Amino acid sequence: MRLPTVEDIEARIPRPEHFDESRRGLATTSRVGTALGIAFGICFLTGMWSHFQYTDPGWLPIGPNPAWLYRVTQGLHIISGTAAVPLILVKLWSVYPHLFKRPPGEKRELVLEGLSRASIGLLVASSLFMLASGTLNIAGWYAWDFSFRRTHEAVAWIAIGSLVLHIGVKLPLIRAGLGTSIKDSPAGDSPVDDPIGGDDSTGGTSRRALLAATGAASGLAVLLTAGQTVPFLRRVSVFSVRSGEGPQDLPINRTAKSAGAIAGATSPDFVLELVGGGQTLSMTLDDLRALPQVTRTLPIACVEGWSRSAEWTGIPVRDLIALVGAKPRSTVQFRSTQTRGAFASSELPAEFVQDGRTLLALKLNGETLSVDHGFPCRLIAPNRPGVMQTKWVTKMEVVA
Amino acid sequence: MSNLSTTRPSLIQLALGAAGVAGLLWGVWSLLDDGVGALVSLGIWLAGAILVHDAILAPLTVVITLVVAKFLPPAARMPTVVAAIIWAACSIAFVSVLTGHAFKAGNETIGGRPYTLAWIIFTVLLAAGATLASLLRARRLGSR
Repeated sequence: MRLPTVEDIEARIPRPEHFDESRRGLATTSRVGTALGIAFGICFLTGMWSHFQYTDPGWLPIGPNPAWLYRVTQGLHIISGTAAVPLILVKLWSVYPHLFKRPPGEKRELVLEGLSRASIGLLVASSLFMLASGTLNIAGWYAWDFSFRRTHEAVAWIAIGSLVLHIGVKLPLIRAGLGTSIKDSPAGDSPVDDPIGGDDSTGGTSRRALLAATGAASGLAVLLTAGQTVPFLRRVSVFSVRSGEGPQDLPINRTAKSAGAIAGATSPDFVLELVGGGQTLSMTLDDLRALPQVTRTLPIACVEGWSRSAEWTGIPVRDLIALVGAKPRSTVQFRSTQTRGAFASSELPAEFVQDGRTLLALKLNGETLSVDHGFPCRLIAPNRPGVMQTKWVTKMEVVA
Repeated sequence: MSNLSTTRPSLIQLALGAAGVAGLLWGVWSLLDDGVGALVSLGIWLAGAILVHDAILAPLTVVITLVVAKFLPPAARMPTVVAAIIWAACSIAFVSVLTGHAFKAGNETIGGRPYTLAWIIFTVLLAAGATLASLLRARRLGSR
């Protein structure tokens, strides 16, 4: 028995023409690709908006108004990412036969083909990575050795860059595809994969049905998960990571135990250090409770896409810093008693500090804050990511 | 290049190409500060993503479609394919909750829903819908 030669193996690998194109083809790829491009565009823009909340570039008007903005942008980020999962799967299916195209013999063509495949490989890898890592992050499942936020942001640029490059290269084909009817074309002579195409009259699966199924899958994936962001979908979204419920009617991202904050937060010796203008005030919880309190309804919105409005009662931050002689338009750093995890401190820009709705909250929905919600006191400001709403605050320092 | 046009690229194409390359390079540049361990982990994820799709998911789809074509009557093919697309794509989108990774001990507000039961009901409803549609189509097409 002779060993198979390279030619033998090559002959067994299918070629693009072996695949049934009756439901694939330009008409399908361009339509699904356009929907995917729109979803990726929304996801990229809202994702960058979220990253800018952490590292304000200085040229963006990031401030407390409107209070619901981050809730909407981050909700859209998760919704568009979820919608993109079925879209990318069908998009990749529609172009799968191209993977089996044989390399050209001519040297220049070979180089061009190699570059094209490399850029498409980068697009596919980075796109799948973005959707997979984002999906896992929503559930707090960190199966990697890199910083999620930094890497998700960097690969987002790679994904959107390679997508824009891909659109540039394929623009004539995209235009042609969108101008082509979705009516079925005849199947090839010897399709190796699904010979179940054809039109509805023959019992085949039409291109129209395929596109409808793709749209339905996208819509259902969103409908069944978006309840953590969209209140009226809460009951329907049975696959959402968070039900929207929780102690004091609010979900919790990080518990006091997992943040190592219980000892500091529940200590009878708790004092809030207020530093500014060359002086330091130490205030007990009773001191804080004795100050004039206000109640504000504000949403809390997390990077994982969940959000919920709640009624917060506490002292406006601008009133607190006035006790150490600071002006309302000051930058204040908040430090937490938490001993584990990121975001043990946050810096609150002056635009937020001077807003009367920005509170050092002592109560949530009419009750004393539970320890998991930040007892004895926490920051709550309008239009700000949840991880930057520092819990278990033990020190406030006017830094500018 | 599979679909390269032999005509000269338009200005819009050149602009898109330049913007795309700039974004791509910025992303790569942003990663350079990361340590070797982080980059290796990312590399595994990027390569793994392609491998899982091209070597597992896509061939599996081809095999499943061949099975559908071979064993299902014509009237059942389209409803089955539609239901299968919805089922598979949604199941992949729900992977973190279906594998139990959303659950966090000590935090009942995360991952606290009966996801497996919901998924079984979701699967049964899709299967029932596909069966019903197949029967209706069989009647319309006059064959089973």
